[in-house]
Amino acid sequence: MTFSREEVKRLVGPVVLAAALLACGLALVYAASDAATSARREFATAQAERRQNSERLARIAEEEREVKEKIDVYRRLKQLNILGEERRLEWADAVSRIRAQRELLDLRYVVERQRLLSSVQGKPGKVDFYASTMKVDLALLHEEDLLRFLADLRESGNAFYAVRKCGLTRTGQAPATATMTPRLRAECEIDLVTLVDRGAKK
Amino acid sequence: MAGSYALYFTAAGHSLYRAERQGLERVAQFSADDAGLETFREHLRGEPGALLAVLADVTGEDFHEEHIPHVRGADRQALLSRKLAQRYRDVRLAAALPLGVVAGPERRNERVLLASFTNTQQLAHWLDALDEAGARLAGVYSAPLLAPALAAKLGARQERLLLVSVNRAGLRQCYLERGRLRFARLEPTVDLAPQALAGFVRSETQRLVQYLMTLRALPRDAGPVQVLVIAPPGARAAFEQALHSDTRLVFRTLDNGDALKALKLRRVPADTAAEALYLHLAAGTPPREQFATREERRRYRFWQLQRRIVAAGATALCACALVAGSRWLDASTLREQAAEELVRAQSAAAEYARITSTFPVTETSTENLKAAVVEFRRIAERSAPPERAFLHVSRVLQRYPQFELDSLRWSIASAAEQRDAALKGVAVDAQPDALMLIELSGRVSATQRSDYRGITAQVQQFAAALMREGYEIVRTQLPFDVTSEGVLSGDIGAASDGGEAPRFTVVLGRKLP
Repeated sequence: MTFSREEVKRLVGPVVLAAALLACGLALVYAASDAATSARREFATAQAERRQNSERLARIAEEEREVKEKIDVYRRLKQLNILGEERRLEWADAVSRIRAQRELLDLRYVVERQRLLSSVQGKPGKVDFYASTMKVDLALLHEEDLLRFLADLRESGNAFYAVRKCGLTRTGQAPATATMTPRLRAECEIDLVTLVDRGAKK
Repeated sequence: MAGSYALYFTAAGHSLYRAERQGLERVAQFSADDAGLETFREHLRGEPGALLAVLADVTGEDFHEEHIPHVRGADRQALLSRKLAQRYRDVRLAAALPLGVVAGPERRNERVLLASFTNTQQLAHWLDALDEAGARLAGVYSAPLLAPALAAKLGARQERLLLVSVNRAGLRQCYLERGRLRFARLEPTVDLAPQALAGFVRSETQRLVQYLMTLRALPRDAGPVQVLVIAPPGARAAFEQALHSDTRLVFRTLDNGDALKALKLRRVPADTAAEALYLHLAAGTPPREQFATREERRRYRFWQLQRRIVAAGATALCACALVAGSRWLDASTLREQAAEELVRAQSAAAEYARITSTFPVTETSTENLKAAVVEFRRIAERSAPPERAFLHVSRVLQRYPQFELDSLRWSIASAAEQRDAALKGVAVDAQPDALMLIELSGRVSATQRSDYRGITAQVQQFAAALMREGYEIVRTQLPFDVTSEGVLSGDIGAASDGGEAPRFTVVLGRKLP
């Protein structure tokens, strides 16, 4: 069947209508596919959330034991003021007090600038660990003075004292006089570690 | 419906019907003369582009069986055209109806029934009028052409069947062989009482059967012929009384009303006879075979093409809608499942919250609590106090009084120191702060400075004694160099060892947990 020009013109309408119907159909398919993809994504998210919550619920007994075990440590950290902002004045007081109590002959120290040691992601906030390095120079009569100094420092709290370096050297022979002259010298580097819990209730 | 209108064409006059899905409505009647034709033209002017089928119910039909070679496509068309041209002077209204294939001794042949009108002119003017008016001619049918479809609708599927109906044009008799038209005739009638009409039907049927036997169209030994008679309204009883079966004819009478029901034709004009059945078929479900030429049906075919294009679009839309519906259904199911999962997740979270509310009261969240303690413990484990190391060294020194320490340096190894230690065979983790180092420097007394072997043995014993509780030797430095790369000197036989005691250095390492 061959068409005249007039007939071709009369075919335009139906062809356009058919194309429009087809386009509508394709649009429907596209919209439905889009909706299905979106629904599939929603389902996957919901499924993952449900799985996570269920697993967490299944682990709750273990978590309870863990919390009970860790809460004591946490409270102890808080009690010792390791948890919270650093307390430099308390550190200075503690060093002075130890020197006086232990009758140390010479004690010099420098506390350096605080630095971030590590940061752990928690929920709802991070837990940041900071360290301030204290360099201590001690004149000792006996090596036990160093051990006592370190023990006293730990007892004083206000930070966790992580000794990085400690060196003991002889300063010379003991003089025959009755005056107390240091025979040893100790140089230590101690990290004063504190932690800040950003998720803690104010 | 194929046509909106159907023109019933008879020798006495013509009627135009509006065809509906379940009804026929007569809209005009035209006389069979020129005046009627002019009225028809007038009517068509008011219906430009009308869709129309013509049903010719006239006498003077010709049916002739031919055998042609069994070919297809254009060859068949050319062969049929030639046969029609040979048979009829005017082929404008001629058709070849297939009757089936017969296998001959040499080749396969096709039986065809050539059909036309002996007087095509009576129709030609009316068809011209349709063409002039731009009407869409669906086809020109004769009542016999529609008989096979009518018989099928009425449930008559016998191998040989005579379908007899009383039309307005007269008594129409169609002989069908295996559901295909083989012969037909129209016998004009006058108004007769039902009994007389029934008698007329019987006698005409017997005459036709006799004629068909003469033509050998109906085998003599084929048994009785089934005759389906559509009785006019109210005449069935009289027909059944008159039309009793015998050895040659088996009559079955059907009321015109029942026939209308079988065709689902509910509304017909009151004075319409059995032609309504043929008109309904012509307008609704016409057969392929008809008399009009392709050119005469061009407008109709073009109109069909337009509809098919739109129908294709609509079909595509429906298919897409089905696919979309299926996907939407999937999406809906997934959303429902997602909602159920969310409910379960929330329920688990609520249960978790309920249980954790019984946990000891903390000033932080469980996650932060765990994070803080775990990380603190890690730092603490990597922060070994030096006291134990001092104690270890002190215990060993007690067993080696000849060793005097000048310095003791304890440290957590730096990254470089760890690398050095690893090179010297100390197993160290890749993590920082994994190794503790103790550097001992001192002198060995009570041994002659020149006794290299003795000093070496003592330092090695001392170092070996230190290698306990996880400590490993990282480096040992003797008072002299016994390696091949160094210089070894001595002063044997001197009066006394005037110099100071020989110095040594031992570096120990211990892996932190």
